[in-house]
Amino acid sequence: MFLKQLFLGIVGTSFGVFAAGGVFTVLISVGLIPRFAGKMHVSKKVFLFEEAVVLGTLAGDFLSVFERHGRFGDFIIKNQIFGKGRTEEIWYIIGTALIVVFGLFAGIFVGCLALAIAEMLDTIPIFSRRIGFRHGLGIAVLAMALGKAAGSILYFAKAVYLHGGM
Amino acid sequence: MAGEVVYLKAERNVEVMQDDVFLKDMAKVYCADSHIAAKAKAIKVHRFSSEEQKRQVFGVLRLIEMIQQACPNVTVENLGETDVLVERVDVNRHKGAVQLCKIVFVACISFFGTAFTIMAFHNDVGISKVFGKVYELVMGQPSPGYSILEFTYSIGLAVGIIVFFNHIGGRRITKDPTPIEVEMRVYEKDVNDALIETADREGKTIDVS
Repeated sequence: MFLKQLFLGIVGTSFGVFAAGGVFTVLISVGLIPRFAGKMHVSKKVFLFEEAVVLGTLAGDFLSVFERHGRFGDFIIKNQIFGKGRTEEIWYIIGTALIVVFGLFAGIFVGCLALAIAEMLDTIPIFSRRIGFRHGLGIAVLAMALGKAAGSILYFAKAVYLHGGM
Repeated sequence: MAGEVVYLKAERNVEVMQDDVFLKDMAKVYCADSHIAAKAKAIKVHRFSSEEQKRQVFGVLRLIEMIQQACPNVTVENLGETDVLVERVDVNRHKGAVQLCKIVFVACISFFGTAFTIMAFHNDVGISKVFGKVYELVMGQPSPGYSILEFTYSIGLAVGIIVFFNHIGGRRITKDPTPIEVEMRVYEKDVNDALIETADREGKTIDVS
């Protein structure tokens, strides 16, 4: 029994190390965070952003692997943290704000990641060279962004229609 | 009179705070004769006139020409870059509430973005099913939901990231730069190259004709 547990422990640790290596090599090699830091002229704080990456991963890992223990909304409502009766209302507002923040920043990140990967494979330069256009790159990028937004909205449109957006 | 040799090591990218750009801002200058070196360093290369114009590319030949105009009979050897990108920065750009907002913004993207990525990854691979299967393979009985696998996986994930990023809580583990710092420099270099190339193509480089 103990040996089996030990074996499982070793297996689990190596799963974790290599999942981290794999996922983060991709994230780093598309160079997303340096680009943000460069655009915003805050490259001196790279350390802080790396901390944020580490903490974000651990938070996401906790919430998705330990799903049952990660239900802090349930916990707060059950224990009536903001006083009896009012907790649901208060938590509804705070929770909505949290979800909005999460959705917005995760959306920005994924949108950038998608285009960064496309760019890493040199899709845009190759296409623009093949079809030989010199101007209107801005329009192409705008069209891409609009296309992504439209696709995303269409994807969620049915759920919004059925459940009224809530 | 035998010509003295002035050694010039031009930088790739420099940032200046004032409107006037001197040669000493753009390159390292060495000459055996310190008078000539001082004279060369004090050459005023450019003056940023309008507020809109923020960057300017100089060809090193123009710098050599200027040195030879200021000190005739010298030979100039350039050991550095062939184009110099000069950027005019505002002194107060690096502080204030706006700066703080930007830092918070980028940190938020890093935090929520990676949280989302790892959750999506776990969802994609169906991590609880994988763990359940491994547990069953090894222990010969169904997983009770959470096992040691989940805990050690999380620990391994943390160790992996910390080793990958090479620092923990603001302290480096080894002296190497972290991957994001390396990527940051690569990105800056690419941007500088692109800016210099663009200026060259548009004919905005200040160089000898």
